[in-house]
Amino acid sequence: MDNPGKQCKIWAVGGGKGGTGKSFITSNAGTCLALKGYKTILLDADLGGANLHSFFGLNRPRYSLSDFFDKKIPLQDIIVPTGIANLELITGSIGSLDSEGINYAQKQKLFRHIRALDADHILIDLGGGTHINTLDTFLLADKMIVVTTPEITALENMYQFIKSVYFRKMKFIFKTYDLNTTIQQTWKNRATYNIRSLKDLIAHLRESSDHVRGIFDHEMSGFVVLIVLNQVRTTKDILVGENLKSVCMNFLGLPVVYSGYCRQDEAVHDNINSKEPFLIFNRISPVVKEIKTLTENIITGTHLSVRKELDNGSLSKIL
Amino acid sequence: MEAYLKYYDLLELPPEATIEEIRKNYSDLKALYSGESIEIKALNTDFSRELQQDFLFRLDDAYAQLTLLLESKRPAVTNTAVTMDDGLRDWIKSINCFTGAALRNIRERMGVDLKDIFAATRIQPQYLEDIENDKFGSFRAEVYLRSYLIEYTRFLSLDTQKVLADYLPRYRKFQGHP
Repeated sequence: MDNPGKQCKIWAVGGGKGGTGKSFITSNAGTCLALKGYKTILLDADLGGANLHSFFGLNRPRYSLSDFFDKKIPLQDIIVPTGIANLELITGSIGSLDSEGINYAQKQKLFRHIRALDADHILIDLGGGTHINTLDTFLLADKMIVVTTPEITALENMYQFIKSVYFRKMKFIFKTYDLNTTIQQTWKNRATYNIRSLKDLIAHLRESSDHVRGIFDHEMSGFVVLIVLNQVRTTKDILVGENLKSVCMNFLGLPVVYSGYCRQDEAVHDNINSKEPFLIFNRISPVVKEIKTLTENIITGTHLSVRKELDNGSLSKIL
Repeated sequence: MEAYLKYYDLLELPPEATIEEIRKNYSDLKALYSGESIEIKALNTDFSRELQQDFLFRLDDAYAQLTLLLESKRPAVTNTAVTMDDGLRDWIKSINCFTGAALRNIRERMGVDLKDIFAATRIQPQYLEDIENDKFGSFRAEVYLRSYLIEYTRFLSLDTQKVLADYLPRYRKFQGHP
């Protein structure tokens, strides 16, 4: 099953609030990768309503992920073409990752099968929410991407999502070191230790012993969430992404990278409604270039720094 | 210098940042964390008046320490900058390739002696000469050359980033990893 010769990169796109454009970003980043010549597979794992196929003008595929789990149909056989070269699609179905019957081992199995697929990149659209299965799938990915919008409600959900993901990973890691009671006990007695937030909890645990500090440094240091800001309307909105990096570091104690943004554009709206793949049908919207930039930044892990460009005017002003 | 790294970190800048960049980031961060921005408001319980005050205090402290640090180096720089007239400034602006020879040319036209740079930066004149002679072999690791170049360019009031971006790739090529 394992094929070390060709390891694909798994991207998971999540982020708390629904309607921020996760499926739009997933389908277009995927298209962008495919156009660059990378063999790419999109996996629609949106629990609420899987509709990634609509972005390519496709009807709902006949087989879905639940056939993989229930009927043991090979993953290979539920892949459908999208009509774009190098780009294929696997559809989830309502409940496919939601069901309580799917445990961690099964998710790991799914990931083993996903990794064995013949592809360079696999993009998983997770949909909204902070269901345990969503968090676990997110954590198993190589690129953990969050799509949000410059709105207070979307940011609230995003913070909550990142914290939940981190906490979930921390609990999992501590369990493997037989330290799961440590977290529980510390959190239970949080008033005594003056712990008011996840950041306080991390700081407290790190200081509790060299052993625990070592675990954090060794196991948690690779934890970085990539942020994509969607439906940006003003130049000030663009800066929100950069501010999030600062805010997450200083007040949540969690590292994030701002990969890029997409502006609000009626053209996007029109293309979605006419079920046309945006990146193929639209060549003039500035969003096309923005998607290319953010995809490139996700591949390389680059942080988008826009303050300087805004100051010297080299970044096109939106309003 | 070690102690100052955390101040640069807090202001989200690399150690070669200029005083202008420090000022800019300080005011941007101050505005972000004292204002009523959505990024902050969305934090809810992860943000409080107390945490905010503490953070702003550390920000002020970092800014004060760094301006003090950079201004203590200033006198030497301004002394030499006096001799820079507009013609010289425009000429320097037009330079895009900062080889060792170009750097020496600039320094000599400014009327600055290597001993002056040594006096202010405590970098041995031998190393300064090696920079100007492109004697890359004298620098065991990029980090040394880099920090010397930063001091050197700062003393001459040159655009540090521009010089680093041009000079260091040649060193890396010499070292065998482009």
